[in-house]
Amino acid sequence: MDQFVKWSNFSKIVPYAELFKEGILVTVMLSLFTVMIGFCLALVLALMRMSNVRPFRALGIDKNGHQRESGALAVISRFNPLEFLATAYVEILRSTPVIVQVFIIYFGVFGVIDLPSFKLLGFIKFDRFFPGVVALGMNSGAYLCEIIRAGIQSIDGGQTEASRSLGLTQVQTLRYVVLPQALKNILPAIANEFVVIIKESAITYTIGVQDIMSAVNAVKGATFVIVEPLLVATAVYFCLCFPTSKLIAYFERRMSHGDKR
Amino acid sequence: MATRDSLIQVTDLKKHYKGGAIKALDGVTVDINKGDVMAVIGPSGSGKSTFLRSLNLMEEPTGGAIIFNGVDLTKKKYQDESGKMVKLDIDSLRQKMGMVFQHFNLFPHMTILENMVLAPMKVKGMNREDAEKKALDLLERVGLKDRADAYPIQLSGGQKQRVAIVRALAMEPEVMLFDEPTSALDPEMVGEVLDVMKELAKEGMTMVVVTHEMGFAREVGNRVLFMADGKLMEQGTPEEIFEHPQNSRLKEFLAKVL
Ligand SMILES: Nc1ncnc2c1ncn2[C@@H]1O[C@H](COP(=O)(O)OP(=O)(O)OP(=O)(O)O)[C@@H](O)[C@H]1O
Ligand SMILES: [Mg+2]
Repeated sequence: MDQFVKWSNFSKIVPYAELFKEGILVTVMLSLFTVMIGFCLALVLALMRMSNVRPFRALGIDKNGHQRESGALAVISRFNPLEFLATAYVEILRSTPVIVQVFIIYFGVFGVIDLPSFKLLGFIKFDRFFPGVVALGMNSGAYLCEIIRAGIQSIDGGQTEASRSLGLTQVQTLRYVVLPQALKNILPAIANEFVVIIKESAITYTIGVQDIMSAVNAVKGATFVIVEPLLVATAVYFCLCFPTSKLIAYFERRMSHGDKR
Repeated sequence: MATRDSLIQVTDLKKHYKGGAIKALDGVTVDINKGDVMAVIGPSGSGKSTFLRSLNLMEEPTGGAIIFNGVDLTKKKYQDESGKMVKLDIDSLRQKMGMVFQHFNLFPHMTILENMVLAPMKVKGMNREDAEKKALDLLERVGLKDRADAYPIQLSGGQKQRVAIVRALAMEPEVMLFDEPTSALDPEMVGEVLDVMKELAKEGMTMVVVTHEMGFAREVGNRVLFMADGKLMEQGTPEEIFEHPQNSRLKEFLAKVL
């Protein structure tokens, strides 16, 4: 019976070390960009979900000028199209597999839109990398939206009241009072999302992004060894994720110490 | 009695919840004159906070009128001098009404000085230098100039509330609204906050103070409102309210708290 792991096979990987190095760089960059796009998208989605845009507000007022309490008109008057769109987006992206989303973006959207085929840093194929970032960013945005929303809602309502009572507008209140506090609280959660994306981004090798997994695939194609490069990939992913998680947990503990109000 | 110096006229103010099932405010009519120090007392749940918070539209009333600076705050739109319909600018009206809360509500991510200059800079467009100078002057008045660079977490409750008061004063409001400003304080700190408020009253600031401090209501207030069940049951001078109460609910209430 063959051995599960042959030491001699590891030496076959050595010539491909450069591919792994590039793969690590691509994975890290992909994850960074993903979280950045995801964060911006999530902020917009969260604000949409918490907005108070009600185009049919007037339908909820009865003949005497009072707010209707129940009935179809009351329901319609409370309808917020922005909230509806954002909620639908979040629920759909959280309820479907990432690989389906990645394929739809790559084959669907960027099958129609032609991307320039140049190489970033001399080795990253832009027309693969970009759709990967977009797809993962869109997915990550859905998850981060909920994190940001919870972060904003965790800020005491008295903060908003104090700010508004000083004459600051709703937007100013959000910008100077609520968001700075909320973002500080959710920073660890956002950093954790980065770790999640490092792992999840492995899926983009299926659309030709040259990440760590694609290095594994290249070795397999050239040398027919598979388990050993996979073990190398395992070690690489672990070394990226584990220390990062520990570091985040450390800062999270430290921050919560200095923050008793 | 409406005088020339009337500042806020409240007429038949109502705040109903659940389609009228809960009447937090049930028709309150009162005139607030310039220089009034009005103490609002009453049992828990009587609508004192709701009344105060309606004045600057922290709560939106469901009926009645609040005329402030000639404008009815309860209407979303009003006619200006030229007869044009304009939208009520609630933000610019709010800066003329300072508000002080039971739980201070200082911004914890900013230093005391930053707390003080935020609104003057962002709302009034003051430059940082002027805003800081003014803030430091105000802090000096309440003996906290040396804590300007501290964060709220580093201050005692009494100090926080004193900062909250001058933070509101930095906007140069025409009236100050206080909702139980000393209820969250340790007893030994109540005095320092009341002293600041007395000082303010002496300077002629118009104040509406929801309070459980009967001593303060009696000593500093020139008018006392007694509320129960969302209604204004009785109002008068401290002497009238505390020495010669008429309303039976007021008598009951005073028997309990005095
Ligand atoms: N959002 C709300 N929904 C329903 N009822 C409410 C709401 N807010 C306040 N109320 C009710 O309105 C009434 C008046 O409340 P309010 O807070 O004004 O009383 P208060 O006189 O300030 O009492 P306290 O001395 O305890 O602060 C209470 O019965 C309260 O339960
Ligand atoms: Mg109250």
